[in-house]
Amino acid sequence: MKNNHMNLVLLLVCGLFLTGCANRGAIYQWGGYDAMLYQSYKNPEKTVEFRQGLELHIAKMEQSKLKVAPGLYAELGTLYLQTGDSTKAVAMYTRERDAWPESKGLMDTLINNVGKRTRTNNEVKS
Amino acid sequence: MNLVKLFLSLMVVVLTGCASAPAKKDLSAFNTAAPRSILVVPAINKSLDVDAPNYLLSTLTVPLAEKGFYVFPVNTAKFVLEQEGFYEGEQIHQQPPETLAKLFGADAVLYVTIKRWDAQYAIIAATVTVEFDYRMVARDGTEIWQANQRMQYSPQNSNSGGSPLAMLISAAINAAIARAAPNYLPLTQQANQMVFVLGPNAIPNGPYRKTEQQ
Repeated sequence: MKNNHMNLVLLLVCGLFLTGCANRGAIYQWGGYDAMLYQSYKNPEKTVEFRQGLELHIAKMEQSKLKVAPGLYAELGTLYLQTGDSTKAVAMYTRERDAWPESKGLMDTLINNVGKRTRTNNEVKS
Repeated sequence: MNLVKLFLSLMVVVLTGCASAPAKKDLSAFNTAAPRSILVVPAINKSLDVDAPNYLLSTLTVPLAEKGFYVFPVNTAKFVLEQEGFYEGEQIHQQPPETLAKLFGADAVLYVTIKRWDAQYAIIAATVTVEFDYRMVARDGTEIWQANQRMQYSPQNSNSGGSPLAMLISAAINAAIARAAPNYLPLTQQANQMVFVLGPNAIPNGPYRKTEQQ
């Protein structure tokens, strides 16, 4: 009986020990961001899947009211920008800025530059 | 009484277990700068694999963000730098850190140099090696942290069966697999985990993790 008690204490303490040291639970869900980025570097054709993957993941996060991991809105914005969709790019850069105050300087610059570029393009066209 | 003793001795194990790191390096510069945000710029590549910097770049965001920092979107940062005419790690690392930090509004810049990223082959064995120099600089230009990490992997030859021929064949197959697709990514992730999180020189937690750890 005493042995059983000792075992129990041992188990409990081991449990504490393990959770104590492994106090590194993830803060965010990444939705495979790093793997998708790697794949798109390895094979640029996978950039389409990267964009779709981010779209899906962000939609899922927002639906469940979870914070989107730092940088993901902006990365999606840049992918939109590279396909010529400045409106969607600006929308994503704006969301990154609103979610992460640290990104404000860069996001404002990007938003302004996209705005300038589309304005110049329109002037050239008209 | 015995239980109390047991508990106490286990507590000691637990406490030393968590703190068993060899002498910590001085992190006062890091703590003084107390960065909230980190800009990761493309790496200098001293290996022969031209893809190494991009592959490495894809592995750095998650461990740093999970450590509690705002990490600037690495692919967006790369895109912005390219717009400014900076394509190569060497070029970027030569810029004053203050200028880069200001351009992005970053508190700190992380520079990585790839020293090893290769697989060496013997007849029936292969060793994959990655080695990185990491350096973090605050926006005022002072270096606040640095580390070096090397990781190596040699496929284990399971000596199942025990016959010399079976062992030879299994070793040859392992080497062939490593040769066909040396798997640098897990090694790189382990290296990052060691320097940022587990090693004696791990960086302190950033503002987004403070609440969970001291």
